[in-house]
Order: sequence, then structure tokens, then C-alpha cells
Amino acid sequence: MLFIIKDEYREKGNARLEESWLKVNVDLRLKDIPGQLVFALEPISTNGGNIVGVVHHRDVVIGGHITVNVTFEVRSDKALQRILDTWKERDIDVARMGSLYETFPIECLLVGEISPQELNNIMERIESMEDMESVDVRYSVSAASDGKAAIIFGKVRKQEAVERVERFLEERAKETGFILIRGLGD
Amino acid sequence: MDIVIAGFGVVGQGVAEVIQQKGRALSEVFGEEIRIVGAFDSKSCEVSQDGLDPGALLKRKSMDGRVGKKDSDGDPWRILGGIDYDTLIEVTPTNIVDGEPGFTNMMIALNAGKNVITSNKGPLALKFKDLSRTAEAHDARLRFEATVGGATPIINLSRELLRGERILSIRGILNGTCNFILNRMKEEGLPFAQALREAQDMGIAERDPSYDIDGVDSACKAAILANAIFGLERTYSDVKRTGIRSVTEEAVSLAAEEKKVIRLIGEISGKRLEVAPRLVPIGHPLSIGGTRNIVQIHTDLAGEITVAGRGAGKFETASAILSDLVALLKENQK
Repeated sequence: MLFIIKDEYREKGNARLEESWLKVNVDLRLKDIPGQLVFALEPISTNGGNIVGVVHHRDVVIGGHITVNVTFEVRSDKALQRILDTWKERDIDVARMGSLYETFPIECLLVGEISPQELNNIMERIESMEDMESVDVRYSVSAASDGKAAIIFGKVRKQEAVERVERFLEERAKETGFILIRGLGD
Repeated sequence: MDIVIAGFGVVGQGVAEVIQQKGRALSEVFGEEIRIVGAFDSKSCEVSQDGLDPGALLKRKSMDGRVGKKDSDGDPWRILGGIDYDTLIEVTPTNIVDGEPGFTNMMIALNAGKNVITSNKGPLALKFKDLSRTAEAHDARLRFEATVGGATPIINLSRELLRGERILSIRGILNGTCNFILNRMKEEGLPFAQALREAQDMGIAERDPSYDIDGVDSACKAAILANAIFGLERTYSDVKRTGIRSVTEEAVSLAAEEKKVIRLIGEISGKRLEVAPRLVPIGHPLSIGGTRNIVQIHTDLAGEITVAGRGAGKFETASAILSDLVALLKENQK
């Protein structure tokens, strides 16, 4: 089995910070002969796609074909359609295809006096916001009165939703006096 | 190249030592003699159009606590006014209230068409526009690599080597003292006050640590980067600033449970101009410990460029000043 996973920090950054990409996961059935993997991946890069990962099931050969699972990102539905058309022309079968949401992480640490009621209110408000995929909280309380901390983490489907959550927490921090420590947003 | 050194504290002495060590070699490379023709500190002044011996200046400072034989009476320019020089190396202490005396020293030089090299953050963080416009109006060069990141090349890297790129954001650890404290809190489970005391005992933090731990130093650097690299006309007070005083051991511990560390991060981008504690994944370049500075520059073509190095110290700062001096020598060769 062959894994190709790109450096998670390298693939972030520059133009990608400002654009949203469609993430696609496919199972491709390829002839078990040399050069087929490159032949299958080439249309993705030709159409401006970004290959995130490839899992090559070399050990399972059925009818002279092997299955390769490919995760990639494309900028538009049109680019995806061009890739699919090229695979069809090249006689590469798409056994399964699913698209994934690109999610953005929320990580915020709240430090200082936060009552359980206040924390509940904060969580309810965040959970009710648009484009939330998941949200959770963990907290620690020490004997010291100023030793409280809570960490909120989750995923949202749009970058704007990250900013919405952070703006809300910044306002609450100002009102109630806790310190907000945000994640890097990578 | 004839030089005047304004300020003869730790950094000024470092510059004199570096000129003593490397001056002759640089003169051979660039075909131009490097001479110190004036130097002053808060009390005294020394001038010679024929050049001063850096070793003698350093010796007098060490023995007598003053760089010159003459009293400056708070106005060194009264004595220096008649001297001819090419470049002022302005290394007086940073003053974040009004930028003085550095601002006046720099303006005197720039208005006379002299080049300025500085490590002094105050004048640039408060009055960058005044200084850069004065330099431009008098065809003088204003160089300040040493103001941000000590020996870590950030400004010249961004402005010269990455000139063709669009820089989208810069973020990083701009203050080694805060990083040391936060790292000790995480590694040893120390409360903030104890980690600070340890830093003070080791000479890493000042007796009055507020300039570092309240994010003032980092905010000055963020303001300088905003002006110098992003062309934003911002001052120190425009930087949204949160220090590390409120970071508790519980917060550090909770972050660690999530495989994160807390670091004081300066960020300059289209969306933010701020200094604040941030959660950084362990293993991320910005999660480094110790007193080093580290900066990530995001550009449209090169992507992410990360530079790290010693952020403060006598020779580290002198190294950055030397890089500016060499840039001026190269320019003179053209």
C-alpha cells in the first residue's frame, strides 16, 4: 500500500487562504500495469487540482485491475467535470465518488472568571450559528479563583463562520473580562 | 564611509567591536575605508574627522563609563554639528512615549542628507512616516533591520530578496522574553509569576518586565513591519495588543492536553494588526521554545518562508546593523 500525503503546513497558505476549494474523494479502478497511476493523476494537476492523498491498494487485484483511492481538491464543478471526462476518455473507471466539505477549525481558549452559566450561554449561541459542523468544550477549574480556563474547539464549513465565532467571543470577552486566546486558524 | 555612532550602550559598543573586527576586511572588499568619526552617549562626546580608534572608545567606556572626553551637556550635535559624515548609526535606547532622543538624532541626520541605520524601535514605531518621507526628500537611506528580530533577517529579506512577491501576511514570535516565560510555564508547570522571576534571575527579563510581557515590544515591531513591508501608515498605538500576564498555568495545561502551546504572536495581514497570545499546535514552526524569534512570511509565489534566529543581544543586533552597513557599501559601489 502506498501513501502520498502532502505536508499539512506547506499546502496551506498564499492564495488558498482566500479561496474555497471543493474536496473530492474517488476510488479509481486502474489496469495493473506500470504508468497507470501517473496516467490517472495527471488530469487532476492539468485542471488546476491539488492532490491531497493517494492510497494505492496494490495487493488487491481483481480482473487485472487494482483500486486507488484519491483525495483531491478542485476550484470548481467545471474543473471536476473536465477531470471526469478525461478519465472516461482514458478508460479509467470511477468506482465511487464522494465530495467532502472543506472545514475550518475553531480553537479558542478562554482564560479567567467564566461562570458555568456563562459558558453554557456561550456554547448555545455558538451552536446556533450558521455553518457549524461541530463544536465542543473542555474546561479546567483550579482552586485559585483566577485559575479557570475553557477550550472551545470545533469545525465550521466557511471561513466567515470562524470569523463570526471569534468576533462573538471577542465581544463576550470584553463584556465579561475573560481573556480570549485564538488558534492560528491553519 | 564615515560613521557617527549615537548611543554607546550595549548595542553601540557591539557595533564598535564589529567595526574593529571586520572594518579592514570590509574596506578591502568594497574599496572604501570605514571610519568612526564621531560617537556619543548620554553624557559625553568624541569627535575626530581623521577617524577614532574603536578600541580606544571601548576602553574609555569600560574604564570611565563614558565614550568621550568632552561633556555633551545633553546636546551632542553642538559638537558634532561641524563634522562631515556619511552615516549615522542610531542606537540610543527605545523610548515608546515620544521616540526621543532617537527621533531628533535621526531627523538631524536625514535632513542633512545623511544615511541612518538604527536598532531603535521607538522613533519608527511612532513616526515612521515622518522619518521615511524626510529620508526620501533628502535622498538619504533609512535602514532598520535591527529593529525587528535582532539577528533574524526579516525586513531586508521581505523588502529586497522578496521584492517581486506580494506579501500576504507576516506572523511570528517577536519577543524572546515572552517565549521563554511561556515555554517554562509549559515545560515545568510553573505559574506565570515564577517563570517571570526565573527569567529575571537569568537576565532574560528586565526588572520592570512590562515592556516585554505586556506586548509593547512586540507591538512596536508589528507597527514597523506594517509600515515597512505592507506600506500601511500605522503607529504602535494602532496595534491591537494583549500581553501574557493573564496566561495562567491552567490555560497552558489545558492547551497542552490538546497538543497545543501558547505563544505570543504578532500578526500583520489584510485582516489583522495585532499582538496576542495564540494557540499553536506542538510541532508547528511557531511552537519553538527558548528565546529565539521566528517569523513566517506568506507570499503569493513562494508560499511560506520561515526564518528564525536570536532576537536580541549585543552581537546579534550588531549583526543586523552590519547587514545594513554592507547594503550601503554595496550601493556606493554602483
